[in-house]
Amino acid sequence: MLWLRAPTVLILAALVLLPIGIVVYQSFLDEPFFAPVARLSLSSYEFILGEPDFKRAFLTTLALAAGMTAIAVPLGAVLAFLVVRTDLPGKSWIEPALLVPIVLSPIVIAFGYVVAVGPVGFASLAFKRLIGFVPWNLYSFASLVVIAGLTHVPHVYLFSSASLRKLNLELEEQARVMGAPPWRVALSVSLPLAWPALVYAGVLIFFLGFELFGLPLIIGDPANVLVLTTYLFKLTNILGTPSYQLMAVVVVAMALVTLPLVYLQRYLLRIAERYVTMGGKGAQSRPLRLGRWRFVALAAIVIWLLVAIGLPLAGVLLRAFVSRWGEGVNPFDNLTLQNFVDLAEYPNLVGGIVNTFLLATVGAAAAVAAYALIALAVHRWRSPLVAMVDYLVLLPRSLPGLVAGLAFLWVFLFVPYLGVLRSSLVGLWLAYSVVWLAFGLRLISATLTQIAPELEEAARVIGAPPGRALRDVTLPLIRFGLMSSWLLCFMIFVREYSTGVYLQGPGTEVLGPLIVTLFGGGSLELVAALSVVNVVLVAAGLALALRLGVRI
Amino acid sequence: MNLSTLTVAVVAALVLSAVVPAAAQTVPPGYPADYAAIIAAAEQEGAVAVYSTTDSASADALLKDFRALYPKLQIKFYDLNSTEVYNRYLSETAANAETADVLWSGSIDLQLKLVADGHALTYRSPEAGKMPKWAVHEDRAFGTTFEPLVIAYNKRLLPADAVPKSHGDLLRLLKEKPQLFAGGKLTTYDPEKSGFAFMLMTHDEKYFPQFWDLAAAFGHGTGRFYPSSGTMIERITSGEHLLGFNVIGSYVVLRQRKDPDLGLVYPSDYVLVMSRVAFIPKNAKRPNAAKLFLDYLLSARAQKIMANQATLFSVREDVEGPYSAAALAKELGATLKPIAVDMSLLAALAPAKRLATLRKWQETARAQ
Repeated sequence: MLWLRAPTVLILAALVLLPIGIVVYQSFLDEPFFAPVARLSLSSYEFILGEPDFKRAFLTTLALAAGMTAIAVPLGAVLAFLVVRTDLPGKSWIEPALLVPIVLSPIVIAFGYVVAVGPVGFASLAFKRLIGFVPWNLYSFASLVVIAGLTHVPHVYLFSSASLRKLNLELEEQARVMGAPPWRVALSVSLPLAWPALVYAGVLIFFLGFELFGLPLIIGDPANVLVLTTYLFKLTNILGTPSYQLMAVVVVAMALVTLPLVYLQRYLLRIAERYVTMGGKGAQSRPLRLGRWRFVALAAIVIWLLVAIGLPLAGVLLRAFVSRWGEGVNPFDNLTLQNFVDLAEYPNLVGGIVNTFLLATVGAAAAVAAYALIALAVHRWRSPLVAMVDYLVLLPRSLPGLVAGLAFLWVFLFVPYLGVLRSSLVGLWLAYSVVWLAFGLRLISATLTQIAPELEEAARVIGAPPGRALRDVTLPLIRFGLMSSWLLCFMIFVREYSTGVYLQGPGTEVLGPLIVTLFGGGSLELVAALSVVNVVLVAAGLALALRLGVRI
Repeated sequence: MNLSTLTVAVVAALVLSAVVPAAAQTVPPGYPADYAAIIAAAEQEGAVAVYSTTDSASADALLKDFRALYPKLQIKFYDLNSTEVYNRYLSETAANAETADVLWSGSIDLQLKLVADGHALTYRSPEAGKMPKWAVHEDRAFGTTFEPLVIAYNKRLLPADAVPKSHGDLLRLLKEKPQLFAGGKLTTYDPEKSGFAFMLMTHDEKYFPQFWDLAAAFGHGTGRFYPSSGTMIERITSGEHLLGFNVIGSYVVLRQRKDPDLGLVYPSDYVLVMSRVAFIPKNAKRPNAAKLFLDYLLSARAQKIMANQATLFSVREDVEGPYSAAALAKELGATLKPIAVDMSLLAALAPAKRLATLRKWQETARAQ
């Protein structure tokens, strides 16, 4: 197996370290790294560390990341438990509905909230008519944390559900036989068993908090809430011309955050092998009966769905179908399909849709194949390289959107032989796959850690070569992880924008960057219409996938 | 034009027309005869790549017309923001990779920085003589539009008698009736997030001595700041903000077609005017096609489209239409203050001065 393991890990290391390496190198220079006059210097570090804004942004980001993790992880875990393990009513529509926030660009979600509950949002105006004032303020740090937390519940859900589906049902069964109520089963049996998935999800969500841009820009900035990414945005312009060296220092600071985070992850998972749950036996069993709690649980989920998905989606839908909105406007007098007509006339739109879905379906499948290869390569491998992989995996996410696209452009421009990938869909695919590596890969690793070694050993004992054991035992056992991973990549590749900005061009345009370009140009009616088209297409794709037997 | 270059051009034209089976395009009226050589060479090049901050939808009418004019040329139009135009071009050039043939961006200062650093090709456009002096920099950089910076407001919600008519008016209104705009009812361009906004600020400082009083009046939660005109306009029409200061006029008139409640005021004391600057990089792979595109942007034919359906505001004085420099000059005369396409803009890029100005902005407009 070593012949497979070592090269996989080395290629992975190269792909991750190239873009990061350029940025780290850049941080120690006083000019763009490609400028002939560039000299080694610590001046950028001096500048950034001397900026009070940087310190403020760093602390705010830390608080935002912690807050959103504290909201998203418990809610996502409970949601997954309810949907996967209990007789909750309405599961068939809850599952697809809860994935919507992953498909929408964060700036679109934020804009949806503005149209719904902003100062002149439709819900705000309704409350004003009813009680004379608006009982909330969208533009605040608190709203930012709550919205960021609630809209990342689906990510945690995907992690937890993939792992809960493969739990050993007997364990829960036994607890139930002993007379434990459902919440007790969840807390004392399922939770410890889903532990690896939750640790991975927690670490990833926390780190995603560092990378959030659209939400802090639209919801936080009006209230003077400065986070690292909005600070980075200002750095592009603070010296007049984009100062890569200053931006690079901020990225290095973000990359350093991954070190304690991965250390913590490894510490929390040290005991994971004790929770190997997919043993030799496994039986289909009835879902847990919630009894009278069924509808309480359903009500709680519906409320979450309304706040986290209903509000922003309603805002986007409304904006897509009206010519104007806001205070003193009755939206129903201004209904129109003109936005969609204008959208249809937008140059190269069809090409963009085709490219996007090619990338999201075939591309996501290829990414999952690569992730699975990496996960298997390090699976049960006693080598110091495995620790290195743990640290590597999170690194690409420390490139915030504004920098990721540029870093990959530099990789394709300045690394020999990679030039052919620039302005090609393959280049886009590679960049997307590296940036979202942690998410796709961890969904697979979380399910892999659940498999008891005796299953694979059994196959080997009866004489199956490693390849055969892999194909007939391991892969079928992690299929839920693979499917969740594909689903997540599918949706993220549809919406991903910043990574692609510098890599796409005529012929390779994709929808994510187009949405951001339109947003920047202020054509919010087109942004809304395009987002609706996106959601409809993804929903259709999802429905088809579910029909074909994909399980979330 | 001396005889030998003419000969070379004619020979080149003959050679190229022999290579290209179909007859080359006819020279536009008023252009020198040797322009045929450029056209023929451009057709050999086959395409032109444009990095632009003008969104595809606004540029569409121009691109279609250019295609009709030169059907053998393919346009590769990259719809980017101004930072992306700059970063992408600079990185590609440093790597000696293929890059744009024309850079066309509203960030006048970033464009001129590239020109100052020696990136622009010197090219005497046959249209240059028809351009206003301030819009052409040494036959390298060319201002193509004439877009006024205006006050935009919400007609539904802002009482007609409260609408300010000038910068002075706006300051007075904010001082006399601060409650009208309290709680974020006013919006303007964010100089912290947009270099373009910073450039506007340095010009406002020049023409309006009380500018920093105005900035102070934006403080304490009165002003909300965005990095783009489009966002400002969306939030003004929704009523989240009543009034926007320094909004790009071309976007306002475009939106007015859809929303009659959006009002527009040309400040009576002075009107800043910005111009999207185009230049051909020295390392353009298709310099002849680039010349055709640049000349087209400056031509009366394209300017007429800008003055009418594209609402980009034409810059040439001899082009008429509702969205033209000529129409604005008739109405506003000497109050129009175009931001000249010249190197004086680079002074504002000096880091120390810039940091100090931004700090001042934070202490006034961003004061809590």
